[in-house]
Amino acid sequence: MIQLAGTALVGILEEALDRHGKSPQAALQVLMSVQRALHHVPDEAVEYLSSRLSLPPVRLRGLVSFYSFLSRTPQGEYVVHLSDNITDQMRGSRKLGDALCERLGVRLGETRSDLRTSVHRTSCIGMADQGPAALVNYRPVTRLDDQRVGLIADLINARVRLEEWPPEFFRVESNIRRSDVIFRKPIEPGAALRASLDRGGKNLEAWEEDLAPTDARRHQLERGGAETLKEIYRAELRGRGGAGFHAGIKWQSVREAARDDRYVLCNADEGEPGAFKDRVLLTDFADMVFEGMTVCGHVVGARKGIVYVRQEYAYLHDHLQGVLERRRARGLLGTNILGSPLDFDIELHFGAGAYICGMETAMIKSIEGRRGIPRRRWPLPVHQGYLKAPTVVNNVETFACAAAISARGGAWFAGIGTPQSTGTRLFCLSGDCERPGTYEYPMGVTIREILRDCGALDAQGIQVGGPSGALINRGDFDRAVCFEDLPGVGAMMVFGPKRDLFDAITNFALFFQHESCGLCTPCRVGTTLLANYVKKFERGVGSPVDIAEVKHISSLMKNMAHCGLGQSASNHLMDSLQKFPHIWESRMKTQEFVPAFDLDWALEEARSLTGRTDPAAHLPARP
Amino acid sequence: MPTFYLDDSEIPFTDGETILEAAMSAGRYIPHLCWRPELEPHSSCRLCTVTINGRPFSSCTQPALKGQKVECDTPALLAMRRAVIQMLFVEGNHHCPCCEKSGACKLQATAYLLGMQDSHFHHRFPVRMRDLSHEGVSLDRDRCIRCEICVRASRALDGKNVFAIHGRGIESNLAVNSPSGLLKGSAISPDDAAVRLCPTGALIAKGRGFESPIGLRAYDREPLSSIELREYQARRAVHD
Repeated sequence: MIQLAGTALVGILEEALDRHGKSPQAALQVLMSVQRALHHVPDEAVEYLSSRLSLPPVRLRGLVSFYSFLSRTPQGEYVVHLSDNITDQMRGSRKLGDALCERLGVRLGETRSDLRTSVHRTSCIGMADQGPAALVNYRPVTRLDDQRVGLIADLINARVRLEEWPPEFFRVESNIRRSDVIFRKPIEPGAALRASLDRGGKNLEAWEEDLAPTDARRHQLERGGAETLKEIYRAELRGRGGAGFHAGIKWQSVREAARDDRYVLCNADEGEPGAFKDRVLLTDFADMVFEGMTVCGHVVGARKGIVYVRQEYAYLHDHLQGVLERRRARGLLGTNILGSPLDFDIELHFGAGAYICGMETAMIKSIEGRRGIPRRRWPLPVHQGYLKAPTVVNNVETFACAAAISARGGAWFAGIGTPQSTGTRLFCLSGDCERPGTYEYPMGVTIREILRDCGALDAQGIQVGGPSGALINRGDFDRAVCFEDLPGVGAMMVFGPKRDLFDAITNFALFFQHESCGLCTPCRVGTTLLANYVKKFERGVGSPVDIAEVKHISSLMKNMAHCGLGQSASNHLMDSLQKFPHIWESRMKTQEFVPAFDLDWALEEARSLTGRTDPAAHLPARP
Repeated sequence: MPTFYLDDSEIPFTDGETILEAAMSAGRYIPHLCWRPELEPHSSCRLCTVTINGRPFSSCTQPALKGQKVECDTPALLAMRRAVIQMLFVEGNHHCPCCEKSGACKLQATAYLLGMQDSHFHHRFPVRMRDLSHEGVSLDRDRCIRCEICVRASRALDGKNVFAIHGRGIESNLAVNSPSGLLKGSAISPDDAAVRLCPTGALIAKGRGFESPIGLRAYDREPLSSIELREYQARRAVHD
């Protein structure tokens, strides 16, 4: 146990405050630092930070209780978060996790009595192409197998520092299997910015002679931004985060806003299970992402950009800071970018474990240091976003595309893809395919073509766009992935011919139950009711009456839920009922309704409290 | 004055008014639990959902627009509102017959208004902490529907910030801003708006109990909808 004298605790807290600042927006960053240092956020820390951050303790405790990676009770010195996505499970993650717990002598979800270690399951950590994976003290360990799990247990038991673990454990591959016109040859750092600034006219004296030189240069800067906006419109760039909103419209709204403080936010909270393209972009194309944000800053007149990165990708912190530093040194960030009057800088902000924060308005709240609860629809973030200022929020991939558009022109980009879906798209292939990884295709590519390239033509089904997307079967393989047909983020989890898809929908139903923020009634209660129905079928006591209920609740959530999470949280269930009805039917032993209540099941809590596993602790099975 | 259509009736509105506000002014009641005229809208209970061109919107946040056709009391929407109320009932532990708030409870009255006959869904029977520590106010989380009216009222009307929501999803719960996490030691007082405006029996002022006999309780004498419409219109008359 970390026994802390008051002064040692204060030292750790002050260090976190020094690193992240003392504004209310720093609260979540500070708490995450404390969590990493102390393996929990003790009440004394909350009391102390409350006065230093000028926030009531109840608000800080609210953060600790909301974000999955923060905890009020002590976690072990080595905290293991096992990625529990269906793709991990398909590669045996559950068994590996059990083996790890056994070797460590700890129960899942608990902390070993000597405070050495705790093991938890967590939602997909963005390594679906190289799972089963886990985070050990927030660093990803990939390609888990029996041997690796055994070694991890030994290293933890021997209290070996993470820095001395085999580096191979932490190797994360980008696995780019196919690249196309945007990412095959990424633009040179500065090329997009230079093009954007040059659009204002290179010859200062040629226009507005009566303006003072600085005013003329400001005017020129302004004109460059306007011209680049035209290129974004010409490109018909649509957001890559899922909704497909036209980036040009967003940017223009913020540009025309009547306030001077404007913000550019990059959404790198890639929480959709099976997605990992943002990880690849931030690893291999960070320059392009930052450059796209800076171009956006030029267009909309913002001086500050923030990248919101999920905690699962916090291992990229030093790499991303390095890229930012290099860009500052080259005059591509900071004041007077490339000698122009353009000032723009970017900071990194990390999440703490909440899928909902990928939702635009929830992300804004999280960056403000609050619980990630989606706020009401109006006013839109472009009018009142971060700190109530006009704010552009775009996905990582969208900014990378924007950089390419500024450098190479909107017409070039519009020439790729389909009329309503221009450009290329990154797809994340995982599950039962020979070559999992990242694939770039022009928009409008068919599922079949992707499956052929990744070696999965025998698939029986694919979850396209993550659990909130669409579950498709072979009849859909000739459909095109684009906004006109199959939209959504480019995550594709492939299920081979022998898989029982009920395992997948069970996984997704539990995922949504865990990730619902709890704000609105239909999602908060509906996700739990749906998860219980799925469990009822798993136990073999489902009937057609229950299927009717699942449909009823699903329709209710689609119509009444506050945000996209609740509205899409039952898509996988509806799709599976339509495309794979047999996985439900095979679990129906009766056409008659059977109550979900099961006397023997109800004794489970008593059995677990008393540690009884013997037959006498069970009731006879129902006839 | 511009107007929009709520089902078949033409509703006048002033610029910036939401659909719910304009409807209430015009004497049309749209069921709601988390909305209060004196507080910022929250759009979390979702009962006030209406459809515009087939798309659902919460009427407490959606601005009224000229000529807009809003559907409110369609059979489909009424059924969905009833299901949302049923969800609230199965999520907590609501034992109306022995609750002090019965007859003056907005949750109960809205359930009657929407024709709820049973709870339909499986009850969760959650185990939640009750807080009887304070001499003047009791908090029964079994009855809390997480409308956050107390959270907002304590902050905006009482100037105190006594409440917050902790946790996530189905496990989220009402938290109290005090060193111990109990009402005792918080700044709460029995005459706070946070206590008065609680739509259920979650927050109750102690020291009185079951004062009105069945038949003479608030919503026995006059339906919830007519009380709220009257109060809203009176409030508007003062503010205009």
